[in-house]
Amino acid sequence: MISCLWLERPGAWRMAGVIGVLFLAALPAAPLFLQVILAHEPLSLGGAFGTALWNSFAVAIATGVLAFAFGLPAGVLSALYEFRGRAAFLAIAMLPALVPSFLWAIGWATLTGRISPAVTDLISRQTGCVLVFLAGAVPLVLIASHVAAIGLSGSQIDAARLAGGEKAVLRYVSGAAAVPAALAALLSAVLTLSDPGPGQILALRTAASEILTSFSSLYDFNLAGCQCAVLAMLVLLLAAPLAWLAAPRLSVQIMARQTRSLRRPGLGRAAIWITASFTLLIAGTIAMPVLGLLLPLLRGIDFAQASGVVGRTSVNTLVYAGGAGVVATLLALLLALFVGRDNRLRSICLGVGLAILALPPALGSLGIMHMAAGAPAWTDPLLRSRATVCFVLGLRFLPAAVVLTMRAWQSMPVSWVQAAELHGISLALYVRRVVIPFLLPSTAAAIALVALLATADVGTVLLLHPPGKTSFPLAIFTVMANAPESLVASLCLAYLGLAAGLLAVMWTFMRRQAR
Amino acid sequence: MTGFQFQFCSVSKVYDGHSALSGVSFTVTAGEHLSILGPSGCGKSTALRLLAGLEPPSQGQVLLDGMPISQPNQVLMPPSLRGIAMVFQDLALWPNLTALDNVLLGLSGAKLTRREARARSEETLNLCGIASLAHRRPGQLSGGQQQRVALARALAARPKLLVLDEPFSSVDIMTKARLLGEVRSLAAQQNLTVVLVSHDPLEAAAICQNAVVLEDGRVQEQGSLSDLMQDPQSQMLMTFRDYHRLQ
Repeated sequence: MISCLWLERPGAWRMAGVIGVLFLAALPAAPLFLQVILAHEPLSLGGAFGTALWNSFAVAIATGVLAFAFGLPAGVLSALYEFRGRAAFLAIAMLPALVPSFLWAIGWATLTGRISPAVTDLISRQTGCVLVFLAGAVPLVLIASHVAAIGLSGSQIDAARLAGGEKAVLRYVSGAAAVPAALAALLSAVLTLSDPGPGQILALRTAASEILTSFSSLYDFNLAGCQCAVLAMLVLLLAAPLAWLAAPRLSVQIMARQTRSLRRPGLGRAAIWITASFTLLIAGTIAMPVLGLLLPLLRGIDFAQASGVVGRTSVNTLVYAGGAGVVATLLALLLALFVGRDNRLRSICLGVGLAILALPPALGSLGIMHMAAGAPAWTDPLLRSRATVCFVLGLRFLPAAVVLTMRAWQSMPVSWVQAAELHGISLALYVRRVVIPFLLPSTAAAIALVALLATADVGTVLLLHPPGKTSFPLAIFTVMANAPESLVASLCLAYLGLAAGLLAVMWTFMRRQAR
Repeated sequence: MTGFQFQFCSVSKVYDGHSALSGVSFTVTAGEHLSILGPSGCGKSTALRLLAGLEPPSQGQVLLDGMPISQPNQVLMPPSLRGIAMVFQDLALWPNLTALDNVLLGLSGAKLTRREARARSEETLNLCGIASLAHRRPGQLSGGQQQRVALARALAARPKLLVLDEPFSSVDIMTKARLLGEVRSLAAQQNLTVVLVSHDPLEAAAICQNAVVLEDGRVQEQGSLSDLMQDPQSQMLMTFRDYHRLQ
């Protein structure tokens, strides 16, 4: 009989397991890196790639700074105070994180096109891209600061309130949330470097859109590969210090703690201002582009065609999303098992995970294509199938699943295993009766979260999907340039509706779990 | 009850270069109620884990009836075969299982039929005064009720030795007094050998006749608790005596 204590025993197997899983996660990116590092000739990146890189970095910096400026106060206020619509605002603010950014770009482009050319000029290129990326970046910073703020105990907040009133509370909590918020802003800035959609729609040459063009329009795999590897190296240069700084902090933050939770007082009349600020924030990042998507529908909804596209792509979308969720969550559970209670291993996992998340998604996809090009036909089910898409998407969003599963794993006290061991319970029985039921809610949440994030990732599916097995967002992406405006808008709104529905289900489930 | 004797022989335990226990020796004999007393961080819980076989010592031996059951870096007899049941400081109740299922799962290593295990679980829950709440999960029970479930799970295994690791540290004084009284009468009724870990000499005195006082991982004094209280040699018991004189 294998002892239950095995789950808690230290040993070299833990480090070996962590390295094995992280190696697997980094594997798709390896071929392109090796190709660039081992290249004998000077790299050819295309004439415009330098300008595109410059544009990408300008947009990333502006996005990061603005996301910090809006997200930090929003996160702190929503954590500290009760005001009308607080829960709804938080739920709505999450939506852009689950929707591909190109949907917002289509919304803005359609809206400004109907107002005047001057407005179109104003909200295009860099400005437009920053606006579009802010929709996803602000929620990330908001959530980071909100989580940091609610992580403080009620007693700490009460002490600050007694010392200097609400100003002191705001100063203290903002100080505590500033570092996580800054790291989230930096991460969201780095993520913009890998997103090709807004640049393509809003007429800005970005590094990510150049890579996509090199591959899908010029059919130049080598050029796309080199550009992607160079972008990845630059991203890694930025992401490595971020991961180094963020990992230990995140490692502490994800540990479940028992503290007296803070009480949210109302703010009387001041609450009206907070509600108004949140309304403006939601209007600026979500409502305006949604309006842009609604306007073409005034001429009529292309219901038949839109439902045809949804019907044709729904199975593939579900397979890709669900498959990615399962792959990411299984690997995350393995990582949680290997990490155990080792702080150093947990920091390593989270650091490498953040770096992987920041890498351009095309890097892994092009790497797999590179491998597939030289592989024999019998490897097709591994390298050219829907399973390949699930696998690569799962690896990309592994860090999201890692945070949830590791937190759940850590919240099982050592004494549970010790009690099981003293009572002679076998490892299999303990895992079946205690561990699996306990981890089930977090596992389900991790699968759902990764599934939603994976659905929003168009780049990977675009590069890796088998012929005819397109996903719903990819169908929108491919028809947006040629199809009638009303069809594109109908499809985008259908996507938004589905994402909002799933978000509502998840939100309700998590609130029920929290109770 | 058959006689038995657990012996700690010059046991030391080192974690990452930090010594938690150093040359600790004491004996627990069948029928005895022994308290391991000491301030926080003195190595009390470590001593319990070594006694239960959940960890091996770094040096020294743990003996059962003269036979080594743990030796340096090796647990020779697995915890489940030592006849020890423990009520943990955090109770270690499995939150997804009901009170009855917690006790039932605790009996899964006892080689009983399903019917026997169920009957014994219900009997023990009844003994601990918690039978009416058998189908509630730990989260639906008060602190005192959870203590009883943990106690029932430990007693259902019919252990040679019941080990209590500061289980009453998080309940109010009224509940603590009631639970201590119940444990004392249960121990007498079942003829149990008890080891209670505590930092409170009053709590220890409610159940135990003998005590081992640990400070900084070393045994400062041991013997009859009443004798130790009369003429304390350890910092802890001297402070306790002085405090009560002041009162």
